[in-house]
Amino acid sequence: MTLRRWMWIFVAIALGSFALAGAGRWLLQWPDETIGLWVGIGAGYLLGAGLFLLMPRWWRQHCDDMYAQPAGRRYIRALWPIMIGYSLTLFASIWFIKRGVESVPLRALVAVLPAIPLALMMGAALRYLREVDELQRRIETEAIGIASLLTSLLYFGAGLLQKAKVFEVDAGVAMIWVFPLLAAIYGIAKMRLTKRYL
Amino acid sequence: MNNRLRELREAQGWSQGELAERLEVSRQTINALETGKYDPSLPLAFRIARLFHSRIEDLFLPDDA
Repeated sequence: MTLRRWMWIFVAIALGSFALAGAGRWLLQWPDETIGLWVGIGAGYLLGAGLFLLMPRWWRQHCDDMYAQPAGRRYIRALWPIMIGYSLTLFASIWFIKRGVESVPLRALVAVLPAIPLALMMGAALRYLREVDELQRRIETEAIGIASLLTSLLYFGAGLLQKAKVFEVDAGVAMIWVFPLLAAIYGIAKMRLTKRYL
Repeated sequence: MNNRLRELREAQGWSQGELAERLEVSRQTINALETGKYDPSLPLAFRIARLFHSRIEDLFLPDDA
């Protein structure tokens, strides 16, 4: 599947979410919180579609090439159900935690539910890394290495600043942002490394 | 490392994509090999040599050769 097709899928999901929010507001009299949730989901997907447009042509072409390979196709096939599972478990986890779960072990279990699909995604990514062709494996491993080192360095520096009381960030928020930061640096590093071999 | 990959591929009339398919690698890998930006692993170098009925040392030449 090409990136352009992904972009249109994102646009369709966004329009579907907005339509659902509109129906919820004017036909089904949903509470504002639920309508806001669907508008948020729609806006997120629309932003995602916008990001596809911002990608340079050479990168879109490279991604289309890579995801046309057997390893890429297997990875995308594995990713779909995992991402749907992640969205559902995240939604369920936030919903239950907001309403309050008395038992601590049960609350812990509900809170970490979204981590299970993420673990499966990492498994799929490792399988992709083993199956993909050798140049791409080199790019991927170098990008993962750069991302791990930079994220550790940033967190170490931020930890020192927090200890020196220069700023204060909630520990939970800081821990949750480790993976998105790692993924963002990995993405940028992968783009730069890919360009080196074009 | 220099190589004669482009010359041999063109002699066969194959595109980069066709060669990539025969070697089970991406088109980007073929391009990086031909432009000398990437040196293949030994197993891939052997696969390339076998495909062109050559020896590795006839395909890949060190920079100082």
